[in-house]
Amino acid sequence: MHASTGTHASTGTHTPVLYAGRFVEDFRRSALQEGCLLLGDWDALPACLAAATTTASVIIVGDLLSFPFEALAGEACDVPLVLVLPVDRDADFLLKVFGETVFGRLGFFDRVAMPDTNVWRTLRKRYGWAESQRVAVEGDTHERVAETLEAVRSVGQRTEKAAHRAEEAVLLPRFAAAQSFNADEVPMDVLQVGVGDARWITSFDLTAIRFCGVDEDPKSVALAGRNFPEGDFEKLGPEPSIPHDSESFDLAFSAGSLGLYPDHEKRTLLSEMWRVTRPGGRLLFLEDFVSGEEAAPHVTSVNAFVELLMVATSGQAVLEHVESVQYPGEDAVRGGVLMLSRLGVPKRW
Amino acid sequence: MPESGFYTPTDIDKLRMENELLAFEVQFLRGHLGLSGGQGSSTSLQRLAHLEEAERDLVLLLRRMSGSPAGRVLRLNANFKTLEERYLLTPKDPGAPKWLEYLQGAESDLVLLLRRMGRPPLGRAFRLKREFRTLEQRYL
Repeated sequence: MHASTGTHASTGTHTPVLYAGRFVEDFRRSALQEGCLLLGDWDALPACLAAATTTASVIIVGDLLSFPFEALAGEACDVPLVLVLPVDRDADFLLKVFGETVFGRLGFFDRVAMPDTNVWRTLRKRYGWAESQRVAVEGDTHERVAETLEAVRSVGQRTEKAAHRAEEAVLLPRFAAAQSFNADEVPMDVLQVGVGDARWITSFDLTAIRFCGVDEDPKSVALAGRNFPEGDFEKLGPEPSIPHDSESFDLAFSAGSLGLYPDHEKRTLLSEMWRVTRPGGRLLFLEDFVSGEEAAPHVTSVNAFVELLMVATSGQAVLEHVESVQYPGEDAVRGGVLMLSRLGVPKRW
Repeated sequence: MPESGFYTPTDIDKLRMENELLAFEVQFLRGHLGLSGGQGSSTSLQRLAHLEEAERDLVLLLRRMSGSPAGRVLRLNANFKTLEERYLLTPKDPGAPKWLEYLQGAESDLVLLLRRMGRPPLGRAFRLKREFRTLEQRYL
């Protein structure tokens, strides 16, 4: 597929969009535009950009200074962004110029292309990015954009980012609510069961919380550790069991992982989550309650899940929040969020 | 999505689980707001008026849908037929002991119907109508 400036390169399938901004003429002369939609600064007018993002699999921003980030709204926010940062600038400069407006909007599915490891570390620490979000590139602007394009060409995470945004919309207020129950001066302990690639860490301020994750799959544990070396990730024990002391966490949550377990293991896991949560702490579940996803063969209905919860916690939990989740592009409602507060008197003070 | 714009699931088990989830959410929200509506609970006159208004709006909406050119197509949908039978064809009795439950059911049916109508792609077209926007604001 060949590029056309300011017009759709394709319909139906998603293709990368390369925003070259003021340097569009340089890029047009190179072979970089092959297989992607090339945009100049005049193509960044709201209508053109909206049309381009409709079919974009990823937007690579080669000219950060002229890209209208504020124009990305609605479904355009579902397109993963890849920022190609200038090479000859230090972290202070980048923070002052781009700061929250640009870096603050990046999430787990967005990437940053930069050669300087020290600058990356500073920015990563400031914004809580995952190591996997970095695209390590070298050379001049052309070479860096070419390397970036090559690295992200096969990345088709638009749907996943859209689903993640829908989940964020219901989970972030719950995380904030759980944090608000905690005293400001005491660091909050958070556990995720079925941590996967640890994408939910980015929703927390790691300077104020201790994040632990457990997963049955050793590959996921390793991946989570690579993404966030500062996190504490372990493999689930047999039966399954959570390898942490009782009453160690203020928040224990799962996001789309319990559907992998048959009912008897699910009950054990729920019981384990209840055990490691402190009295007054919260249990949070974002799960599918309507079967259909092949990836989750043991989905239970919400009533059956609540029954399992009641058995696993001996009724020592109070339901605080219920919310259904409709994913983008789906007619049916299949997801739901349940938040419970654990009752009881702490064994340790 | 069929041409009628209504979500028509084919898997009955999925439908049951989805309904269970939505009903659970509604039940939780009612409990949270102190509107359990169960036996022995006290429903205020204001709430009763609101429920009756919801039932009236639902009946008007169903009449308009069923009288429209799309009415025949809509009647192919089992859910729509159920709604028609329940609210247009069955005689009403405000003195019946289960009148309150009937009104609460009408309100939740109206909410579900408006949610489904509000989904894309037809949702945008519906929203061009002021009456639909008013119903959305009132019940969603």
